[in-house]
Amino acid sequence: MPDPALTDAQLIARALVAQDQHAFAELVKRHQSSVRACLRKLTAGNHALADDLAQETFVLAWRKLAAFRQEARFSTWLYRIATNCWLADARKRREELLGDRVDAVASEDDETVPHVDDTHADHARGSSLKVDLERALAALPAAERAAIVQCYHNDLTHEEAAYVLGCPVGTVKTHVLRGKQRLKAALAAYAP
Amino acid sequence: MMPSDRTSSPDRSDWLDALLAADAAETQATYLADDGFTARVLAALPGALARPGWRKPAVVALWGAAVAGLAVATPDTLLGAVREGYRLVASMPVSLPGLAGAVGEKLILTGAAAAYTLRDE
Repeated sequence: MPDPALTDAQLIARALVAQDQHAFAELVKRHQSSVRACLRKLTAGNHALADDLAQETFVLAWRKLAAFRQEARFSTWLYRIATNCWLADARKRREELLGDRVDAVASEDDETVPHVDDTHADHARGSSLKVDLERALAALPAAERAAIVQCYHNDLTHEEAAYVLGCPVGTVKTHVLRGKQRLKAALAAYAP
Repeated sequence: MMPSDRTSSPDRSDWLDALLAADAAETQATYLADDGFTARVLAALPGALARPGWRKPAVVALWGAAVAGLAVATPDTLLGAVREGYRLVASMPVSLPGLAGAVGEKLILTGAAAAYTLRDE
């Protein structure tokens, strides 16, 4: 078994040179939690689908490991594959594609994100706020949801998010800004 | 938990930023137990990593260079082997079925050697 103290780069080299599946297994153990959590956010809390996509992500990572050029962190590269898997699955499910709505978003009515009923404002701001945030995130267009998940939940810079999403940095910023506008509209009842 | 290139000027008064940051912090603090996930991934892995596309031409070129290098380095040995082989063949009684068998055998051996050299995992 590989030494857990080995760096990601050393494990990748072992997996590549010796086709060492134990080294790759150590990489999976290290990154499975963050990749699955990312996909759970992207799939709006569908844990079974997220785990299926996470498995697909790591199998693809194994197949494409020789193409990993270390131009990004390994975790960022995994997020990129995971996001592509999610988009491919969404495509199959006839959901909207990343970037499809870049031009259309500006003209769209904010009503696409359901507003939280004002009567809920009186509820405790703990669990209900969390549930409403999950719902509001799930209702966002795919591109905006993906941008917010990468920038906030995966703690990536805009540049890293652009690498993951395969779009320009400016587009990421636009998606984050518009996504937050929709979230504010949906969660207006919780505004101070 | 702000995107890093915005941390220099975060909007501290933005309640949604704070809300997203808190949600992100909670997500990151929650470690998802493996629960057999890694084992399932390993079971789904193909046998070997995909080999790069340049491998076959490189293998062929290396074999060609090795044979050419041997021929250049030891011309007398190779010529002697060829002459001896010719002498042996010439001294044998030749029949059409025997000749066809010998050619077939050589083709099979060459094909097998080439297939082994260029095999994909």
